[in-house]
Amino acid sequence: MQTTPITRINVSDKKFCISYPLEDGILLASIKRIGIIQPLILLAPPPYTIVTGFKRIEAALHLGLTDIPCIMVNITEKDALLRSIHDNMGRALNIIEKANCIEKMLHMAFSTEEVYDVMTLLSLSRHEKIAGRLRDIAGSDETMKCFILKKDLSMQNIETLLRFTSEEKEHIIEILTPLHTTESTIREILQMLHLIKVRKGAIDFSTIIGADDIYGLKARLKTLTYPILSSLEKGLKDIKIKCALPPNIDIKVDPFFEKEYIDILIRAKNPDEIRVALLKLNGVFDAGYIRSIFGLAKD
Amino acid sequence: MGLQKIDFVETRGNIVRDCPGTKNHICCGYKTIDLIEGCVLSCSYCILKEYINAPNIKINRDMPYILSQINETIEAEKTHILRFGTGELSDSLALDRRYGLNRPLIEFFGETKKALLELKSKWASIDHLVPYLNPYTVISFSLAPQRIIDYEEKRTSPLYKRLKAAKKAQDSGCFVGLHFDPVIIYEGFEKDYEYLIGDIGRILDLKKVLWVSLGLLRFPPRLFDRFLEEGRKNLLYGEFIRGEDGKYRYIKKERLKIYRMLYGLLKRQEEDLFIYLCMEREDIWRGITGLTLEDNEALTGLFDNRIKNLYGGNI
Repeated sequence: MQTTPITRINVSDKKFCISYPLEDGILLASIKRIGIIQPLILLAPPPYTIVTGFKRIEAALHLGLTDIPCIMVNITEKDALLRSIHDNMGRALNIIEKANCIEKMLHMAFSTEEVYDVMTLLSLSRHEKIAGRLRDIAGSDETMKCFILKKDLSMQNIETLLRFTSEEKEHIIEILTPLHTTESTIREILQMLHLIKVRKGAIDFSTIIGADDIYGLKARLKTLTYPILSSLEKGLKDIKIKCALPPNIDIKVDPFFEKEYIDILIRAKNPDEIRVALLKLNGVFDAGYIRSIFGLAKD
Repeated sequence: MGLQKIDFVETRGNIVRDCPGTKNHICCGYKTIDLIEGCVLSCSYCILKEYINAPNIKINRDMPYILSQINETIEAEKTHILRFGTGELSDSLALDRRYGLNRPLIEFFGETKKALLELKSKWASIDHLVPYLNPYTVISFSLAPQRIIDYEEKRTSPLYKRLKAAKKAQDSGCFVGLHFDPVIIYEGFEKDYEYLIGDIGRILDLKKVLWVSLGLLRFPPRLFDRFLEEGRKNLLYGEFIRGEDGKYRYIKKERLKIYRMLYGLLKRQEEDLFIYLCMEREDIWRGITGLTLEDNEALTGLFDNRIKNLYGGNI
């Protein structure tokens, strides 16, 4: 191991860098306290190219260090990239880092088999389509990459997101970033947005933005993508409001208004509560509300 | 036509099966003959790719075995007039001129006179079969407005050719079947179907149409993602829900409206047309036709009556 001045390193050359993001608060604090323990691997000749240690050099630059410990190697670029990838295998790589591995291998013209072998090590399916998607992820802009990591998006959701134009992605990220989401709600929302795009050719985001929470957003999108179902749901809700049922009585309808029957539920602790509930239901029936509910899905 | 490789196989086992239908929906008791697995026509909405896990098209060429299986099935049936088809896992006519698969079947059903063979297709090539056609073969075409054929059934025959071929089949002494399946909702589809049904009335002898099926677009969930990915505007125009069988289908309100429209248009052309709904719920049947079908058996009974009415004692 030796020490070299940072000025002799080409810090802007990131062709072997797979780490993302490079900023690492814990590492920074550690280096600040006890310095760089693990030497960087640098590719000769000078100005040296970093093979491993991009986060460490980032921290060193931030801390104003002038020299860093390193090991010099003189290997081919392909070997350098493989060393960089394998050096990181010991930790759990995020999807952007996995994408970087594959994109850089494809860029350096590794054979398909070599790429697939690394994909297997990264727990990715050995498939051309997956490799293509990873390449798209690696080529995404910073906003998209940050969003993918922040929301910990699945490959399926990333794939769907990638189908939108840059401008659409920007809007979607802007809408979803502040909301508390789950993987499945993001999938639902992306699917509805995609459906609007396919049907209308474009998405009018002015009709979507401004939802307070994820449920509000879903409701807005549902009205746009499933207008009939939404109107039936609204109709049912309105009738139920008119029924003014007490909490121990509920009228349940098939969620898609497919089935002909409805369920009426009464929760009672004693016969008297049932008698009161039946009286209430009798009034609801006489007012024609039950008939209106049956009529909702008829035609 | 098509770049798929053809594999000739001699599969043993059940070549003749009950049409799988779909659960909680009324099905017609159709029998399928797995003569060909896979299709060269590649319609965008086709569910075959989801079901058949092989890139190549398989043709079963062990005709004596196939015929023996059909015969066994016919002999075992004591109640109904069986209807067989080869169009479940493939198109019945698309490869026929090249491989001559249907002739022995047509001849077998013509000699047996106990059941019907339906050749269901979107490929209007029947000239090579005309000399062998007999009343026990039903030539059927899936019909859709030309706009859908242009966008979603790109490798198939245009509508006018299908109708021309159906007319030719009628002129050759066959009954024909018409299948409006899948009916697809898209902008302006109502007018297109009105014109289509008008054309049918002008071109075909509707007294020689044995049956007409109506089936609205339905598909397994995985196809929804594919339609989105491929930007299939026509296929995604309508509003879908997940049915009891897990498949996507148009919301009931729409289904009722469209069935009612098509049923009315067809009946206006010919009051006696036998129209059935493919894979629909009992309440939809009742809402459209006024018939209460308790189960699949009831629908099979309707088919029996229809065939007896048209064939008299000749079957």
